[in-house]
Amino acid sequence: MLTISNLHASVEDKEILKGVNLTINPGEVHAIMGPNGSGKSTLASILAGKSDYEITEGSVDFLGHDLLELDPEERAAEGLFLAFQYPVEIPGVTNTYFLRSAINSIRKHHGEDDITPKEFMALVKEKAALMELDSSMLSRSVNEGFSGGEKKRNEIFQMAVLDPKLAVLDETDSGLDIDALKIVANGVNTLRSPERATLVITHYQRLLDYIVPDFVHVLVDGRIVKSGGKELALELEEKGYDFIKEELAAKA
Amino acid sequence: MMTSMNTMADPFVEAYGELRSLLSIEGPEWLVPIREKAFQTYALAGLPTRKDEEFKYTSLRELSEQNFRFGFGANVLREDLVPLTLGTIESATVGFVNGQYAPEISTHDHLPKGTFIGPLSELPEEFAPIVEKHLTKIATLEGKLGSTNDERFVALNTAYLGDVAVVILPKSSTFGKTIHLQYVVSGESVFSTPRTLIILGENAEATVVESFATVDGHGFTCPVTEIELAPSARLEHIRYQDESAASLHVSNTFVNQAGKSVYTSSNVNFGSQVARNDINAWVDGEYCETWLNSANVGTGNQVIDNHTRIDHAKPNCQSFEVYKSILKDHAEGVFNGKIFVYEDAQKTDAKQTNQAILLSPTATMNTKPQLEIFADDVKCTHGATIGQLREDALFYLRARGVEKSKAQALLVYAFAAEVLEKIGEETVRDLLEARLFDKLA
Repeated sequence: MLTISNLHASVEDKEILKGVNLTINPGEVHAIMGPNGSGKSTLASILAGKSDYEITEGSVDFLGHDLLELDPEERAAEGLFLAFQYPVEIPGVTNTYFLRSAINSIRKHHGEDDITPKEFMALVKEKAALMELDSSMLSRSVNEGFSGGEKKRNEIFQMAVLDPKLAVLDETDSGLDIDALKIVANGVNTLRSPERATLVITHYQRLLDYIVPDFVHVLVDGRIVKSGGKELALELEEKGYDFIKEELAAKA
Repeated sequence: MMTSMNTMADPFVEAYGELRSLLSIEGPEWLVPIREKAFQTYALAGLPTRKDEEFKYTSLRELSEQNFRFGFGANVLREDLVPLTLGTIESATVGFVNGQYAPEISTHDHLPKGTFIGPLSELPEEFAPIVEKHLTKIATLEGKLGSTNDERFVALNTAYLGDVAVVILPKSSTFGKTIHLQYVVSGESVFSTPRTLIILGENAEATVVESFATVDGHGFTCPVTEIELAPSARLEHIRYQDESAASLHVSNTFVNQAGKSVYTSSNVNFGSQVARNDINAWVDGEYCETWLNSANVGTGNQVIDNHTRIDHAKPNCQSFEVYKSILKDHAEGVFNGKIFVYEDAQKTDAKQTNQAILLSPTATMNTKPQLEIFADDVKCTHGATIGQLREDALFYLRARGVEKSKAQALLVYAFAAEVLEKIGEETVRDLLEARLFDKLA
C-alpha cells in the first residue's frame, strides 16, 4: 500500500530525513517511535503533502501513485489521512460544513454525486457516538475553543467519517489523559480492518498498549535504525532511546 | 459678487428652499429652528471632496452629478420584502419607505406600558418630553476632544429631518423580541434621511436591528442614529447595510453610554457603490463595555469606508473593536479608528483590531488607527493586518480532501463569519451568514 524508498528531505538546507525506507501493507498497523527531533513529524507532514519541505532524494508510492506528485487534497481523496499533532482552529467554519465539504470533494474526485443531507447526518451521528463526542460539537467551529483532548478526538472522528485507506496518526497521544487516550484508541481499533493500514507516530509506548502494532520502527536522526514486533516498544519504554544509540555507537 | 470656493453644485442646498415649508409642518415645533441651524451648517460645509481629510479615500462626486430627490409616496408591499435578507424576520418592525413611515410594512402594537416602538408621527404625548430631551442632542461631537471629525452629513440629515423611528424602553425592562427598524428604498435616485432614536432606561435590555435595503432602483441614503443608554442598560445593535449596487450610503451613529452600560454593535456592509459609516461612542460612565464588530465585503468597484470613534471619558471602562473587510476586484476599503482616552479615564482597557483580506491585486485597503491618550494608567492596543489567507488552515482543509479553490472560499467566508457569529440573535445571524455566503459566491 505504501512504499517509502530512500526518502531524504530538508528544511532550509538542514537535512531532516536521511534515507527512510518503509513498506506498509493493507491490514497492518505500524508504529514509528523515536526521540524528539528525530524526524517523526516531518515524515508525517511530508506524507500528507505539507509544502515546507524539500525532497532531495527518494520516492513514495501510495497505491500505485507517485505520492509526492499529488496535491494534499488528491492524497486525501486517494485515501490518505493525517491526524494532526496540532489540529488547526478554524473560526467561522462549522465542523459539519467542513466535513460535508471534505466528503463531497473526495466524492467529486471519484466522479460520484454529493452525499445527501440525510446520509450525511446519519453517518456523522454514528461516528460522533463512536468517539463519544457531543453532537452539539458538530455545529461549532472547527476545533475552536476545544480542549486538547477534544481536538484529538475530533481528528479520529474525522478519520472515522472519511474512512481512509491509510491513517497516519501524528503524536495523537500527546496531551491526552488516560480516559481520552482510551476513547481515541478505541476509535482507531474499531476502524482496523484487513483493507486499512495505520501508521502510528509516537514518542511514548503508552498509546501502543491500546493500539497494538504489528511492527515497530525506531527513527533516530532521520533514519529507521531498528525494526521489530510490538515487544520492541516495550524494550524502548524500559531502556529508553539511549540503548539504541549505544547499540548504534557499538556498531560504528 | 460672492464666489464660492466650492465649485460643485449642491442639489441638497438648492432643493431646500422649496422643501423648507413642507418640512416645518413635520414633527414638533421645536425642531424648526434646529433644522434651520443644521441647514446653515451643512450649506457652509457643502459636499466633501477628497481634499477633506475625513473623505480622503471616498469620492462622493456622484452626489452632485446625479439628481437625487425625495421619493415620497412610493408603494412597497410586504411581499416585496421577501427577497430581502432580513425582510420578513419575526420582530416588532417599524418600516420606512424612502424615509417615509410605512404602516403597511410595520408591526409594533401591544407594547408594554412605558415602552414605545414606532414612528415619531405616532408618538403618544407622554413620551414627548423624553424625545425632546434627546432627539438631535446626542448626534454631536461638540465639547469632545479633537476636532477632526466631520459632521456635515449629520447636519444634512437634521436639516431634512422628517419622521423618526423611535424606540423607548423604560427602566428595568427587557423587550423580548427583536426590534427591527427597516429602511427600504424604492425608485431611481431616491434621497432619504432616515433618523433613529433609541433610548434605553436604567437596566433595560434590547436587540435592535437597523436594516437598509433596496426594493428596486437606487438611492442616496443618509441616516443618523442616536442612542442613549442609561446606567446598566444593554443594547445589541445590528446595523445591516445591503443597498443596491448603484446606491450611496453615508451614515452616522452616536451612542451615549452611562455607567455600567453595555453597547454591542455589529456593523455589516455588503451593499452600495459607496458605503461610509461613522460610529461614535461617548462613554461617559464607569464600568462600561463597548463592543464594535464589523464585517464588510466589497466587490466590483465598491468603496466601504468605516470610521469609528470611542471617547473614554470616565475610568474603568473596556472597549473591544474588531473590524474586518474582504475586498475583491477593484474594491476599496477604508478604516479609521479613533480612540480618545480622557485625562480622567484611568484604567481604560481598549483593544482595536482591523483586518482585511485582499482577494485580487487591484483591491486596496487603507487603515488608520488613531489613538489619543491623555491618561497614564491605561491599556490601549491596536493592530492592523492586510493580507491573504492563513496557510495552516488552508493546509488542514486540503489535507481533508477539500479542493484548494473551495478551501480558499471557505476560509474567506470564515474570516467574516467570525464577526457575524458574535451576533446574539440567532435568526439574524443565520440569515446574514447565508447572505455572506451568496455575496462571496
